[in-house]
Amino acid sequence: MSAVVAVRGQVRRVTRSRALVAPAARWGLALVLLLTLAGVAAPLLTPYSPLTQGPEALLGPVPQHPLGTDEFGRDLLSRILYGIRLDLLVAATAVPLGGLAGVVLGVLCGLHPALDVVLQRVFDVMLAFTALILGVTLAAILGPGTAAVFWTVAGINVPLFGRIARDAVRSEQDREYVLAAVALGAGRPRILFGEILPNILDALVVQAALSLSTAVFVEGAMSFVGIGVSPPTPSLGALLRTGATFLDDSPAYALGPVAVVVGLVIGFNLLADGLNKGLLKR
Amino acid sequence: MLRYALRRLPSALLVLLVASVLVFGVLRLAPGDPAVVLAGPDASPATVAEVRASLGLDSPLPAQYWTWLTGVLTGDLGTSFILGAPIATLIGHGLGNTLELTVAALLLAVAGGGAAGFALGTARRPAVRGLVGGAVNLALAVPPYATGVLLVLVFAVALPVLPASGHESLLADPVIGAQYLLLPAVCLALPTGAVLARFLATALRRAEQEDYVRTGHGKGLPRRHLLARHVLPGALPPVVTVLGIQTGQLLGGAIVVEAVYAWPGLGQLLLQAVLGRDYLLVQDLLLFAVAVFVVLQTLTDLVQARLDPRVRMGGAG
Repeated sequence: MSAVVAVRGQVRRVTRSRALVAPAARWGLALVLLLTLAGVAAPLLTPYSPLTQGPEALLGPVPQHPLGTDEFGRDLLSRILYGIRLDLLVAATAVPLGGLAGVVLGVLCGLHPALDVVLQRVFDVMLAFTALILGVTLAAILGPGTAAVFWTVAGINVPLFGRIARDAVRSEQDREYVLAAVALGAGRPRILFGEILPNILDALVVQAALSLSTAVFVEGAMSFVGIGVSPPTPSLGALLRTGATFLDDSPAYALGPVAVVVGLVIGFNLLADGLNKGLLKR
Repeated sequence: MLRYALRRLPSALLVLLVASVLVFGVLRLAPGDPAVVLAGPDASPATVAEVRASLGLDSPLPAQYWTWLTGVLTGDLGTSFILGAPIATLIGHGLGNTLELTVAALLLAVAGGGAAGFALGTARRPAVRGLVGGAVNLALAVPPYATGVLLVLVFAVALPVLPASGHESLLADPVIGAQYLLLPAVCLALPTGAVLARFLATALRRAEQEDYVRTGHGKGLPRRHLLARHVLPGALPPVVTVLGIQTGQLLGGAIVVEAVYAWPGLGQLLLQAVLGRDYLLVQDLLLFAVAVFVVLQTLTDLVQARLDPRVRMGGAG
């Protein structure tokens, strides 16, 4: 028994250490880390507050303002850096929250067939509200704002993680280590959460990377159409929304946030692709 | 086949019913009294009570829900407060414009994504695979609002060849209408086409390893014949599913693209309704969006069952 466990442990360790060897994963991780670091170190990288207005509006790039200024003379570089902060903060809190709720519900599907049927329908209903439709719904309840974005990102992740956890539990049911635990007299909840859950983590990690990319995407979309983060708070989507109205006068205004959003989404996507190859060998 | 359809239908109806209760609940969960909002800031209590009664908000919740649901089912969607027009007319008008946009995007996505996916799945030269694969990944990663802004910058600001935003009826003037349609349709088509290309490429590679294809190789069939007659048909079922799911997502994507290009469709109407707190209009539009998604998903499942006997014979799960 212990020998089997030891071998399993080794196999796991080997695949995990190989997970980031795929070049896609390394490039993705580097891109994400670079942009995250820029957001975290925002106060060190720029002397301006993202909210302080200045006398010169809609400047192009100049030495004092490397990316220019917005319509109120605020420094665009600081607004973008603080925007990254807000986007990643929402992503890093809402994705784990929604994911955790989904995983618990998904694993609970394994408790009883009747519970499985009910929870499956719950996931179906949640999935019928596609990302932006859920965003609009929550903006109608909570009013446009960062809270609406947060709950939208959390909400879309519940059925995604729920389905993955449910399917993974079903396919692990008959594996030897589960049968061994049953033979040792472990109860159903103990088997689900203690034995099976640790073994389906890889699939959840891949989904988490994808979900972080979706979170940035959704924040951008909601703020861009005016139901997300509202002025004067800087977020990538909010900057893009105002930047898009000054395309004639100051094209650089919109290009900065576009580049960062695309960088973050590509970064997380590459990371998910690489992890998928490394961990799941699909 | 009919038996499969009958088995699939109850859960679709259940999802719709639960969604209708949720959407109805949106209006009640929202902070603030809709009657107060609609009556305006200086309204007297008597006016507010009058507005409340005229909206039917003074009857008990289940009764209100029943009135709304029977109204929707009989085609009476009520009147929009902010726009002062029957909601059925507003949705009809917006739907026409949104359909124009989504159908154009879908055609572009199927043509472009199909070609890219076929190239990606069957090309033998690594250079072709790298180039097409990179383009597909890029199209997948750039959000439509970013693509939209970039397309406007290039084709309307830098080289002013296409209008930056707006809409002109295709029926009234096909040439001008198509000029307005081109950028938003491309913008909406790119991510859908990219997803399609990826799935097609994977399905093609998988199908090419099947035994019957190897048999074909073995007996000396030319590769072109093998691809067209044996590999492609084997690869299509999963692609059909993806196409169905993606079509269901197009309405959500249309919200963003319509906002970029001031396209007067359902997405713009929905945003207007939410920001103007026109609760009834929000309710009707959200139910409509969910219903479109559920109907498309059910149709996709039926097509899937038609193509693949394993699905229609399989268990309920």
